[in-house]
Amino acid sequence: MVAARSGCSATVIDSGPAVGGQYYLGAQSPEGGSGLSYAALRRAFDGLVAARGIDLRLSTYAYALQRHADGFVLRTRGDDRHRHRVSEIGARTVVMATGAFDRQLPFPGWTLPGVMSGGGAQALVKGSGVLPGQRIVVAGTGPFLLAVAYALISAGGNVVAVVEANEPLNLARHARAALPAAGKTADLARFVSALARKRVPYLRRHRVRRAEGLDRLESITISRVDSEWHPVSGTDQVLECDALAIGYGFTAQTDLAGQVGAHMRIGSDGGLAIAVDDRQRTSIAGLIAAGETTGIGGVDLARLEGVIAGVAAVEHCGRRSALSESAIGRGTRDVARLRGFADALHATFPLRPGWRADVDDATLVCRCEEVSAAKVRDAVSDLGALDARSVKLLTRAGMGWCQGRVCAPTVDALCGFDTAESLIGGSYRPVAVPVPLGAIASDRMSP
Amino acid sequence: MSADASKSSGSVSPTVDFTFDGTPYRVPEGQTVAAALISHGVVSWRHTRVGEQPRGILCGIGVCFDCLITLNGQPNVRACVTRIETGDVVCSQEGCGFGD
Ligand SMILES: Cc1cc2nc3c(=O)[nH]c(=O)nc-3n(C[C@H](O)[C@H](O)[C@H](O)COP(=O)(O)OP(=O)(O)OC[C@H]3O[C@@H](n4cnc5c(N)ncnc54)[C@H](O)[C@@H]3O)c2cc1C
Ligand code: FES
Repeated sequence: MVAARSGCSATVIDSGPAVGGQYYLGAQSPEGGSGLSYAALRRAFDGLVAARGIDLRLSTYAYALQRHADGFVLRTRGDDRHRHRVSEIGARTVVMATGAFDRQLPFPGWTLPGVMSGGGAQALVKGSGVLPGQRIVVAGTGPFLLAVAYALISAGGNVVAVVEANEPLNLARHARAALPAAGKTADLARFVSALARKRVPYLRRHRVRRAEGLDRLESITISRVDSEWHPVSGTDQVLECDALAIGYGFTAQTDLAGQVGAHMRIGSDGGLAIAVDDRQRTSIAGLIAAGETTGIGGVDLARLEGVIAGVAAVEHCGRRSALSESAIGRGTRDVARLRGFADALHATFPLRPGWRADVDDATLVCRCEEVSAAKVRDAVSDLGALDARSVKLLTRAGMGWCQGRVCAPTVDALCGFDTAESLIGGSYRPVAVPVPLGAIASDRMSP
Repeated sequence: MSADASKSSGSVSPTVDFTFDGTPYRVPEGQTVAAALISHGVVSWRHTRVGEQPRGILCGIGVCFDCLITLNGQPNVRACVTRIETGDVVCSQEGCGFGD
């Protein structure tokens, strides 16, 4: 929007059927946050599309980014119904804001139908108005669990419990350094009071140990855990449920930036993030990144970064942005403040190693290629694999449909290869979404 | 398992008719294939290649490819991000989806 207002010609590519991303999914207007409703944002955006001729391409996936002359070529394909519809777009500047997805840890039974990510459960409700089950447990770690539980309860869902592996009260300690983000704190307070009203237990320092069921989820076993996530003996508890919405923070979608060799960093949540400067510029001139891709931090931070990224894009095209210097200064300061609060949240809701002992030999760690934990461990102990790449080649873990998005970090962790280099090395993906070979061939041959 | 009872009361909202493994279903317009099936109690629609395990959705937002389904004869369509349309013929998928 900043680019279009500043007189640049802009193309917007979004894989969804409507603009808005995960937060505004389903065109509802969630309350709270910084209070900007979807309707208001949409009005402003649609106005610009009409007035400034933004080329809006919805239901379109960017699958590859390449450098070209003094700019980039972005290759796109249609949605799954139209995946043969490929096209390419040239641009001086690319702003990348591909978001994130729930981080998963493997545990016995996690492949049973009915076990899904927190974001997936929320997307069912927000996007389609469908509840994931009749008795739902929300589990994992992070404030997002509360958002998921709130969305489910608001839609009339029966949430049995929220199972949080960390101690949320530690936030008071970690957030002292950072000024709390007012909107976020209000959100959390509202979520917690909604749970209390519905008498949904918020089980802190509890973790899902396994899921049980014949060919679909029937129950889970949870335990109290210590601060390292090791179970406290004698605290096992079985919860009957037909849906488990689970997630341990988020993983940023960095694929397109990785394709052109942009520098990455490890975020304060231990996950990968695109490295950017205070104007959201990556190490590649003209490639600008915003939102969760540059480090998980929530919707308010993502939106502010988007504005700064727009300014940087306009500047890279040699124009003056429509925003005043003082507004930009305020924006970058707010970004730093919200980043500080995100760091405090990550310190409160970290990943601790206790989960690894639950991953028994039969548990699949790579769901796509159906690789068990035993195979991965054997690759190290018997076959002598010395790094993550060898484990992948020996076991095929991470070589399936999702290209290791779900399993690569956890396979690294189980093998003891969870270093920054291996996380970064394992994140290189030649395509961000699979493209039919025929479609690429015919595209290359067309003039 | 529809989340919003208020939608069905009063004004008639548009619906979509489709079949899943030959059985006809009707759902409100705008749902994904996954949501349409889950709202009818169908939580899995694929068996894996090696272990022949049932699978449904995991990420729910198009990233993990666990939810692959065969739509109008085209295998490997992500049920979680593809919207159901009237007349769709949806089939569960075995292995890699090419009848192996
Ligand atoms: C499922 C889910 C639910 C969430 N719910 C909340 C919530 O309720 N509250 C909250 O504060 N935070 C929530 N979050 C965190 C959330 O990521 C941020 O709050 C916010 O949405 C971040 O904005 P973003 O622009 O970085 O990413 P997103 O909002 O995720 O936007 C990324 C956009 O890029 C598109 N995209 C991705 N890859 C491609 C590609 N290759 N080609 C074309 N388009 C692509 C996606 O379709 C999407 O529209 C959620 C995250 C997820 C994954
Ligand atoms: S559930 Fe992950 S892609 Fe559909």
